[in-house]
Amino acid sequence: MVEAQAGSRHAFEELVRRYDRDVLRLALNLMKRPEDARDVYQEAFLKVYRNLHRFRFECSFYTWLYRIVTNVCLDQLRRRQARPEDQAPETSSTHDEGITDFFERQKEQRPTLDPERRLLGQEIQTRIASAMELLSPRERVVFEMKHYQGLKLRAIGDALGTTEETVKNSLFRATRKLRSQLGVLR
Amino acid sequence: MDSTPQLNCCAEVAPLLVFYACDEVEPHEREQIDAHLVICEACRGLLGEESELRIALSSLSQTADEMDPTGALLAQCRSELSEKLDDLEMPKVRERWMPFGWVQRWMALRPAWSAAGLIVFGVAIGTQLVPWLAVRSGGEDRSTVQAVNVTATPRLTDEQLSKMAVAGITFAPAPDAAPGTLQVQVRTEQPLVLVGSVDDDDVRRLLTFVVANGERFDPGTRLDCLDAVKARTDDEHVRKALVKAARTDKNDAVRLKALDALRDYTHEAPVRDTLLDALHHDSNPGVRVEAVNLLVNSLDGDNELTPGGDGSLPVVATPASNAEPAVINGDGQDVGRVVRALEDLQRRDPNRYVRMRSAAALRQIGSRDMQ
Repeated sequence: MVEAQAGSRHAFEELVRRYDRDVLRLALNLMKRPEDARDVYQEAFLKVYRNLHRFRFECSFYTWLYRIVTNVCLDQLRRRQARPEDQAPETSSTHDEGITDFFERQKEQRPTLDPERRLLGQEIQTRIASAMELLSPRERVVFEMKHYQGLKLRAIGDALGTTEETVKNSLFRATRKLRSQLGVLR
Repeated sequence: MDSTPQLNCCAEVAPLLVFYACDEVEPHEREQIDAHLVICEACRGLLGEESELRIALSSLSQTADEMDPTGALLAQCRSELSEKLDDLEMPKVRERWMPFGWVQRWMALRPAWSAAGLIVFGVAIGTQLVPWLAVRSGGEDRSTVQAVNVTATPRLTDEQLSKMAVAGITFAPAPDAAPGTLQVQVRTEQPLVLVGSVDDDDVRRLLTFVVANGERFDPGTRLDCLDAVKARTDDEHVRKALVKAARTDKNDAVRLKALDALRDYTHEAPVRDTLLDALHHDSNPGVRVEAVNLLVNSLDGDNELTPGGDGSLPVVATPASNAEPAVINGDGQDVGRVVRALEDLQRRDPNRYVRMRSAAALRQIGSRDMQ
């Protein structure tokens, strides 16, 4: 970290490699599109690069990095909300369809798989995806960081630059919206 | 007096169950919630719903896993970041060339005109100015004329290549199918700019050197050079450099691109050995998948069109229960090696998608050989 602040490109790239997998996962889960996730990745790490000299070790680098990443994600999500025409789901590329078809063929060949359970899982996934669209950008970020990144609420608050109480409220609202969508399945 | 708030009723406990389910309550709250749950069936039901939701969420695949199963997107992001960092560091070079800043901007906006202009300029320098200088200086040796911007390709010595650094590469595509024009800024003892296409020997030599000696250059430069030089894989030196890059480059995207560039030469032993080596040893699952795809496609080409060694049509053997599928056209050993490698990959690769791709490839090979 100190070497990276001193201008070592190699040290900075090493720092990037330590965290960028998680950063890209967060971006993909939030943005749902590879090109948007790529933009978030680039913008976040370039911001880190340009502002590394301002990091004063008042918190962990992880927290500081996630603060930047979540702000970039929130900006993108808010911009997307403001442009409804950008929210149309992407059609799968041929490559993705090939992968999906391939996995689907594999599943059909497994005699022990319960087709009803598989169908229910697909339905749940569709419902959750729809419910996630109802969440505000902040609720989506909090939900993603809690359930898929496994962060504690205090760490999420630090990353978002807000209080744990605010994060709790966001998580509560997000969970309530998701439960109301899934409740229809029963 | 105990100052901690008491949780006495469902209205106070129910909102906390979301946080109780994900272990985000204080110890004193947990105790009180536990005590309340013992006596309240309704809250137990609510907690059950919270737990069901968490189980449902944890059982679903994440978007990140679906969109980047092989890690190729991560490799691309890393390469693009390296390029952008190179651009951010470029101002040091730009400052040196500040007097010509407007020229660079004009050229960046008009690549076709820039390419034409550079070629005309190069021809003029080569045919008019250099002989005039030679005559003027009484027939001095042309090698004493120092060129800073060189449009006619200079002879790069091996020593220059071994000591050079590449400051930047720009590419101007040609309007037709001809190779575009490259402008490579090289830092040697004296900075120089090399302009030409990938068909020029010196340009190609420089690009090949960068690809083959990746440890000396940053990933963005290596990728740019690879992109430029892959149009000339008919050159044996280029193929050797690509094979070396595919085996030894530390950047996943460079190795992936190098393998892809060799797709038309998978019938050659060094390329096929490189693909097999990538199957077993490459650390990136995306690269391993690319190797599988290229090997399978290469067997497609062997089976369908290649005549037998004596000019006869290829004969596909119907495999016995334990025999490896073979194509009897002189490449039977190759097919066996590929099949063994794929079987090993299917059993042992740590990446699920790689294992599944290998299984699909084996079925593809098997079904083709059964026809």
